[in-house]
Amino acid sequence: MTAPLTLTTGQRPDGTALLTATGEIDMSNSEKFAAAIDTALGGADGRLVVDLSAVEYLDSAGLSILFAHAERLELIAPPLLEPVLTLSGLSDLTTVKTIPPPTSH
Amino acid sequence: MTQADGREGRAPTAAGTDVFAADHEVGRHLAAVDWAATPLGPPAAWPQSLRTAVSILLSSRFSMWMAWGPELTFFCNAAYRRDTLGRKYPWALGRPAREVWAEIWDDIGPRIDTVLTTAQATWDEALLLFLERSGYTEETYHTFSYSPLRDDVGTVVGMLCVVSEETERVVGERRMATLRDLGSDPSVVRTESEALAFAHRQLDRNGSDLPFTLTYLFDGGSARLAGATGITEGHPAAPLQLPVDESGGAVSGTVWPAATLARGESALVPLGGGPFTGLPTGRWSQPPVQALAVPLLRQGDAPYGFLVAALNRYRPLEEGYQGFVELIAGHLAAGLAGARSYQAQQRRAEELAELDRAKTTFFSNISHEFRTPLTLIMGPVEELRGRLADADDGVRQDLEVVRRNGMRLGKLVNALLDFSRIEAGRMQATYEPADLSAVTAELASVFRSAYDRAGLELDVDCPPLPEPVHLDHGMWEKVILNLLSNALKFTFDGGIRVSTRAEDGYAVVTVADTGIGVPAQEMPRLFERFHRIENARARSNEGSGIGLALVKELVGLHGGTIAADSREGEGTRFTIRLPFGTAHLPPEAIGSPGAAQAVSSTADPYVQEVLRWLPGGPAERGSGAPSDPALGPPSEPTTEPPSDPAQVGAPAAPATVLVADDNGDMREYLGRLLRGAGYRVDTVNDGRAALEAVRRDAPDLVVSDVMMPHLNGLELVAELRADPRTAAVPVLLLSARAGQEASIEGLRAGADDYLLKPFAAAELLARVRANLELARMRNHHSRWRSALIDSLQEAFFVCDEDGAVIEINAAFTDILGYGPEDLPYPPVHPWWPNERTDREAHRMVSDAFATLLDRTHGTYTIPVDHRDGHRLWVSASFNHVHDPDTGRRVVVGTFRDVTADHYAIQRETALAALSLRLARAAGLSDALEGALDELRKLWRARRVLAVLFRDDAPPALVGTDRHLTWQTLPERRRTGLDALRDQPTLTPSAEHPSAITLEHPEGTLAVWVELSERRPFTDQDQVLLTLLAGHIAQGLVRAHQIDQQRDTALALQRAILGPSQLPEGFAVRYEPAASPLEVGGDWYDTFGLPDGRIGIVVGDCVGRGLEAATVMGQLRSACRALLLQNSSPADTLMALDQFAVGVAGAPCTTVFCGVLDPDTGGLTYSSAGHPPAILAHRDGAVELLADGRSVPLAVRPGRPRPTAETVIPARATVLLYTDGLVERRRRALTEGIAQAGRTVQDGRDQALDDLATRIMGILAPPGGYDDDVALLLYRHPAPLEVAFPAESAQLAPVREALRDWLARCQLSRRTTQSVLVAAGEACANAIEHGHRHTPGRIVTLRAEVDVDRLHLTIADSGQWKTPRPDLASDRGRGTALMRAMMQQLTITPGPDGTTVRMHTRIEP
Repeated sequence: MTAPLTLTTGQRPDGTALLTATGEIDMSNSEKFAAAIDTALGGADGRLVVDLSAVEYLDSAGLSILFAHAERLELIAPPLLEPVLTLSGLSDLTTVKTIPPPTSH
Repeated sequence: MTQADGREGRAPTAAGTDVFAADHEVGRHLAAVDWAATPLGPPAAWPQSLRTAVSILLSSRFSMWMAWGPELTFFCNAAYRRDTLGRKYPWALGRPAREVWAEIWDDIGPRIDTVLTTAQATWDEALLLFLERSGYTEETYHTFSYSPLRDDVGTVVGMLCVVSEETERVVGERRMATLRDLGSDPSVVRTESEALAFAHRQLDRNGSDLPFTLTYLFDGGSARLAGATGITEGHPAAPLQLPVDESGGAVSGTVWPAATLARGESALVPLGGGPFTGLPTGRWSQPPVQALAVPLLRQGDAPYGFLVAALNRYRPLEEGYQGFVELIAGHLAAGLAGARSYQAQQRRAEELAELDRAKTTFFSNISHEFRTPLTLIMGPVEELRGRLADADDGVRQDLEVVRRNGMRLGKLVNALLDFSRIEAGRMQATYEPADLSAVTAELASVFRSAYDRAGLELDVDCPPLPEPVHLDHGMWEKVILNLLSNALKFTFDGGIRVSTRAEDGYAVVTVADTGIGVPAQEMPRLFERFHRIENARARSNEGSGIGLALVKELVGLHGGTIAADSREGEGTRFTIRLPFGTAHLPPEAIGSPGAAQAVSSTADPYVQEVLRWLPGGPAERGSGAPSDPALGPPSEPTTEPPSDPAQVGAPAAPATVLVADDNGDMREYLGRLLRGAGYRVDTVNDGRAALEAVRRDAPDLVVSDVMMPHLNGLELVAELRADPRTAAVPVLLLSARAGQEASIEGLRAGADDYLLKPFAAAELLARVRANLELARMRNHHSRWRSALIDSLQEAFFVCDEDGAVIEINAAFTDILGYGPEDLPYPPVHPWWPNERTDREAHRMVSDAFATLLDRTHGTYTIPVDHRDGHRLWVSASFNHVHDPDTGRRVVVGTFRDVTADHYAIQRETALAALSLRLARAAGLSDALEGALDELRKLWRARRVLAVLFRDDAPPALVGTDRHLTWQTLPERRRTGLDALRDQPTLTPSAEHPSAITLEHPEGTLAVWVELSERRPFTDQDQVLLTLLAGHIAQGLVRAHQIDQQRDTALALQRAILGPSQLPEGFAVRYEPAASPLEVGGDWYDTFGLPDGRIGIVVGDCVGRGLEAATVMGQLRSACRALLLQNSSPADTLMALDQFAVGVAGAPCTTVFCGVLDPDTGGLTYSSAGHPPAILAHRDGAVELLADGRSVPLAVRPGRPRPTAETVIPARATVLLYTDGLVERRRRALTEGIAQAGRTVQDGRDQALDDLATRIMGILAPPGGYDDDVALLLYRHPAPLEVAFPAESAQLAPVREALRDWLARCQLSRRTTQSVLVAAGEACANAIEHGHRHTPGRIVTLRAEVDVDRLHLTIADSGQWKTPRPDLASDRGRGTALMRAMMQQLTITPGPDGTTVRMHTRIEP
């Protein structure tokens, strides 16, 4: 069983690519997450906004993927993930926008 | 008063006046009162009650007055009129009482009001009232009672006063007291001022009759104030001096009429104005108005002085008062007379004593010999010396003595004659010009040999003077010779310096010594004739006290002066100043320089005398004794054998006589005399040497002079008597001092006899013989006493004050082995046990010894050592008595050998102690340890070793010294113990007397008592050891049986209680009772229920031992079964009630039964009389789960039981227990519960199992639990334990389980997330590596929480071929995250897998 993770791609109003993740990211589904980011980046050198606001768990496997593309990513993260992003040093490489978690959760 | 006078004339006319008929006189005056004008109205209309009262009043002879009606109209009878009313009569009759007694109404008004309002009578005794009845304010005392008077209807309308006046009595007693005090002077004689001071103290106490007093004493032309009371001395009315002037009185300014008084007349002085303003008032509020001055009369002479007594203004100066003052004056005069006559007597007595002293000094010191007979003696003696030059020694010695003493007497007589010549002015002097320095130096050199012999320096420093000094050579020789011999006499160290100088026109000669010096108080009398300084330390006590007096006279004849200055202990310096020239000398006595006289003829007697004071002086030399002082110290007695032992009358065994005299000739003479009579004679030259000689070897008799340097004869006697060893030596004192007084003094000091010089030889010999005979008889008596004491069966001893044993009897020697030959035995006595090797025994003896000296009598039992070393016990009793011979305190004691009794008692005591110890023992090892300890205490052994030899095991050492093991034991001791192994049990071994073997339930036990060094293990000890070993063997068997029983019980109990699988989150303990170690009926139980909840039971059956354990087992099983079925605690307990009814011993069991939901912490419980569970919240609050409570099991079977519910919050701890944990004697149960609560509270951050240990430890009483204890702890939530295969797919479900558990822990979201990440990384780690090597292996995660910490453990348990490479490099980011999220991280790689442990603090 892999951890529950839903990945949705889209576009921001400004045209920037957007990847929205919902669920948990760990070793069991990190490959899936990596593939989704690769796809969203699409080989071009544009930027990608990764919306993690509905992610409840992110471990070092997920972080590794984000680190690999850090210079092209912009993250939207819930407060819950903030310590992980800060402590890992990712916040220093990418833009992290912290938003409150969805009220439904 | 004019009113009263006015009424008196009126005739009685009013009707109804018959009521006044009872007394004619007063009645007449009453009848004359205008009653109609009073509120009472005319008498005819008076109520019967008033009439009756009035008639009673008038007919009484007792002093009364009464008041009636609204104005308290006044009536009185004849007695009252006479005694009290005085001049107010008859004015007072019919007037309001308030008016009559206006001056005292403040005192009596309230009393009368009280009577009228309360109808209660009053009583006053000797009340002071100032009455105005005699024309002045008068001090009066009345004893009276006011009683109510009622009218016809019973209303109180008046009062009756019955009164007796006591003024005379009170005032009289007061004066008597003063006179009595004056006469109570306890001392018989006193000085004038003391007598007056005492009298004044007494007068001062009576400020009523004597507001102030002054005592003046006539002193020449004036009177001196000798004392005052109640007034300050120097007050204008109390001048310190008064002139006694005939003109007297105020005219000359004299306050008091001293002249009148000096004539012996009294005077009454009004005190007004002038010096009498501001007078003190005594005890009154107003100053006195007159004073009485009375002379202090002296029989047949003018008065001593006078007394001024200020008078009490409130009393008339009647005869009694005046007599009182005169008696005081008489007393003062008598006191003065006594004091003055006493002083006069004392002065007279002192004068007489002085006269007597001078006389005694003169007569006791003067010798009535004169020159003529001396010349007639000395001439022939000189001739005989020449003629008998070849005669035998004895004759020549005699002759020598005669010559020397002749010379001495001649010198004395010459000095006396010089005095009489000087006094008579007949001194024939010829003053010739002389070289003072040369003459003086030559005179000094004459003494050189004497100084040398005395070991003193003689420093002559006499340089030539610028001009000659006129000297009478004979006189000057005497001056210098006297000073030098004097200096030598009093100088013991250092030396004498003689010097001459010219100074300010005078020749100054100084003789300075470094001798004993002269006490300051003696200096003024130094040159006084016949004056001698008593008790001065000197080489000789010879001397008449005229030397220095003569010197002074002789110097005076030379127109010179002599002065002395001295410091005690440092020396004395005499300074002679002689004028140069001849102006100061009578011209007819001045001669021309003549041939110098040979010095030696005058100096010889001086030098001879001085030499005799010195050791090895001419006397000893003459007698043939060693002439060289170096041959023997001076204190060594010179012993010579009897000169002729065969002489008739000599005793068979010659008695030894010690002669002590500082005069060498006398010493020699006595020696020859006594030796001639057949005695052995030792001689010494002072008292100190005599004392030493006697102490060294007591003679049969001491013949001693009284006057001796260092220690005189009387002191010698006192010293001898004070020492019990020498107290019995008879002493015969010799003295030249006449007078009965002196001989009594000698006998009082303890001398046996006393002989005055001069004495006849026959007299001396007779006395010596008598005293020796007497001493022999005394000895006979003491021999008989010794025989008696020796025949005693008990040991007998006498100790002196210092505890030295000075006398013993034969039994003493028999018992202790110490004989009389070594007496005295000073403490520490040789029979005391050795302090080093047997400290305890030594202490007992020294304690007993202390009581011996401190208490006047007593008994004690102590250990002592026989001379041959064996130990004895003796029971001694002693008494302090006074030795009649010496008057000193000695201790007389006896003792018995109680060794046998002692050991019998010791055996009994030891057996009892051992039996007790064995009986109390909780088991075999306890019994053995206890027994060994008893043995150690009994013998005060260093340690007691016991070795258990078993067939199937190596020897095991049990000893009182816990640090020892068989292996660490010294080889020698091991061999010794090994050898014992084959000894028959309970048989003493000759080779190792302090060891024994005995049967032990597991083999053979060898016991070895290791005594402190060198103490013997006696036969008695061996017997005792054998006896005790037998008891120990029996005791060990018994203890072994108990052990076995208990082991069985404990095994059973443990079997019942466990080991069952405890659900997570629980810790349990069971502890049997410690003393005696015994199982009981307590239990705990916890088990999973079918619905996932957990059953928790803690119970306590009544009773102990196997039986209780059995009941417990049944109840425990039943309870578990019922709860599994039912899962309702209340129902379970109700069913258990029914079950317990049928099980013997089960009723009254207390049980806590609960069901816990491990997810929510919900606890449903019911308690059957069990102590409440304790719930400690994570914030430290402690709560008791005391609901759901009902009676113990089977007490009310069938009765419904309550249920309670609670929720155990996250990180709270619950403690269930049985009462053994908290119940203590003499302590409230609640106190124990509170203590348990605090312990849980304090330990809420500890791991649960540690907390269980901690609780059991902290709450345990000092000797261990005395009841068994069951304890159960639960902390919510229980730790999470998850095991999963090492696959990444497992991460999400594990995370979910952990998230759930963390929620139960009630942690913040943020903390939860941190823990999840850290745990996730660790798990991912394990999985990642697991995949690589052995897929499918199991990873475990354990999470535990306490109040403020969370612990995570992730372990992979797979088989690892090689240690895992460094995690940090491989999964650096994951490890970094773990480290960041948790506070502590340890990764322990190992061959069996890797364990990651993480801790973090959490919010409480």
